[in-house]
Amino acid sequence: MRSFYAAMRGLLHAVLLGLLGAGIVHIAVLLLVPEFSERDAWSRLSMASDLYKMTRLDAEAGGAPVVKSVDPLFYATACRFDLGEGMVRVKAPGHVPFWSVSVYDRSGHNIYSFNDHTATGGVLDAVVLTPAQMIDVRKDLPEDLQGAIFVEAPIEEGIFVIRAFVPDESWKPIVSHFFEQSSCELQDF
Amino acid sequence: MLKNAFLTLLSLAIAIVGGGGSVWYALKVQDGVGAIRIGQWTAFPDIGTPAADPYSKARVAREGVLALGRAEGLSFVAERDTGGAELKRECTYTIEGGFPTARFWTLYAADQSLGVVETGKPRLAALQSYGVVRQPDNSVIISAGHHPMPGNWLLTDGSGRMYFVLTFYDTPIASSTGLSDVSLPQIVKVGCNA
Repeated sequence: MRSFYAAMRGLLHAVLLGLLGAGIVHIAVLLLVPEFSERDAWSRLSMASDLYKMTRLDAEAGGAPVVKSVDPLFYATACRFDLGEGMVRVKAPGHVPFWSVSVYDRSGHNIYSFNDHTATGGVLDAVVLTPAQMIDVRKDLPEDLQGAIFVEAPIEEGIFVIRAFVPDESWKPIVSHFFEQSSCELQDF
Repeated sequence: MLKNAFLTLLSLAIAIVGGGGSVWYALKVQDGVGAIRIGQWTAFPDIGTPAADPYSKARVAREGVLALGRAEGLSFVAERDTGGAELKRECTYTIEGGFPTARFWTLYAADQSLGVVETGKPRLAALQSYGVVRQPDNSVIISAGHHPMPGNWLLTDGSGRMYFVLTFYDTPIASSTGLSDVSLPQIVKVGCNA
């Protein structure tokens, strides 16, 4: 009988220790998921295309969507950049009912966002750069950058996403054309 | 000796399976920390920002989400009607009420993964505010169901669980101060095709 109690106590001890361990494992796994995920937006995009290349996120371009673009009434396109190589300039001439832009860091956090009401004349022309590059640019602002929106981001690798509203079927070719004309390139300075 | 080894293994098994499983479960459930509830609608204004909690961050990394920024818009998800029952794709619902200030909004019927419901027809299971008929007091009444209905008709199809996703674009409610006195439309069940 006594040995039975001893065994039960041992079992209880093991279970309690296990639950405590489960708590620790829970926290550790939770904090490690973003670090080791191979399914995050950056990894999915890098499988689909190179740096500085606009990639459509919606299914309209054919094939499964690269990153889930949630709203069915929206088209989206994205390009990856590395500010370590220099600042990046994104342009999209043309007018659509609504566009908005977000800049994400390597792990998919939204760092900065703006929409067409922010831009001069509603035309998308933006430069993403680090604070250090911003200081250099401020000293001598090139003529063709005067109308651009400067996004200062303290990051190296990042993702630039343009979303555009497609109110109905008839807007599809116009919005597709808007994205085809968009560019994402390293800006020499 | 054998007993000690068994107990150690048991502890380790509980720790690893319990810890891993609880993370998996916490990331799977729709609800979670950082949610703001208004009526039946839930939003995660902090998701995808550096200020998000660890659960949202893990979810973003695991699902490869690129969340809408504050200047873009704010999404609300509903999974239950006013009666507290889960939304079903085989049921008909009326969504009515006023909508908060925004440049425009979109509403769509979604499946478990929050992708739009496949209708198998050219018509999307989605509506947007430029294309809806309004009441004299500027409120909107939307009927969601399988069969065409007068007024604003949101096409749904199939069976199983359904979610409604309501997104406001270029809206002041996305800023942290605006969310307190926002009212969102009600989702009322009309009937079900058993």
